[in-house]
Amino acid sequence: MSKNAYYSLARKETVLPNSIIAIAGRLGVKPSSFTDEASLEADKFTSLLEELERVLSRHKQADRENVRHTLLLLQEKPIERLRRALTRGQRFDFHRSRG
Amino acid sequence: MVKDLIFTDREAEFLRELVRQKVDFMIVGLSAAALQGAPVVTQDVALWFRDLTDPGIERALKKVRGSYVPPAGMNPPMFAGKSVNLFDIVVHMHGLETFEEEIEHCLRIPLGRLKVPVLSLERIIKSKEATGRRKDQLVLPVLSDALAAIREQHRRNKSGA
Repeated sequence: MSKNAYYSLARKETVLPNSIIAIAGRLGVKPSSFTDEASLEADKFTSLLEELERVLSRHKQADRENVRHTLLLLQEKPIERLRRALTRGQRFDFHRSRG
Repeated sequence: MVKDLIFTDREAEFLRELVRQKVDFMIVGLSAAALQGAPVVTQDVALWFRDLTDPGIERALKKVRGSYVPPAGMNPPMFAGKSVNLFDIVVHMHGLETFEEEIEHCLRIPLGRLKVPVLSLERIIKSKEATGRRKDQLVLPVLSDALAAIREQHRRNKSGA
């Protein structure tokens, strides 16, 4: 980055595009809510926990961890679910060599 | 390290060939349960074939440089070769109806670019209940809880909530 560009950016209050700031203003939210990945992850996690409680309320005998892991796996593609199962399964198979 | 990945195109190619050769088969056991979202671990992918003498199996094996090892003594039939080592052959499922009846109700789950027939979690549970083996008894609560979660999510998705 050139010195000019650096000082130009450093003087600005924010480097977010004006369009983002305008949309956020219209929606009444902070502009950072569009860029903050951590908050998206937190939102996803919160909705997963809500879903978990909903399932457990209808299935009182179900184990919390089993349900939580299932809900997490349902967010993945089937092939990834299978790979996880096989990777963990094969890790404990010391007598089998795979090419 | 790509070569250490489990279930790569190498294994998927065999399933693709089985589908292409119109072989009647379905994925069963814990790998089938895992595909549906159950949090389980397994060492192989069990394939239930309607007819092991189907020439399509031989053709599919040839395509992926695998071979069929017939049963001998205590050893069940097996597949040999890098592309097929991961697969186990199943010729009978305890507690279930015939292959022809079960395949009517199986799921078609996308595995990469192809959809493969997979025994439903309900039927996997039914089969594991019937075997009475200790290792199956241990995994049953996990499968039941997973089924409850999956059904709830389907219900929720259907209602558009």
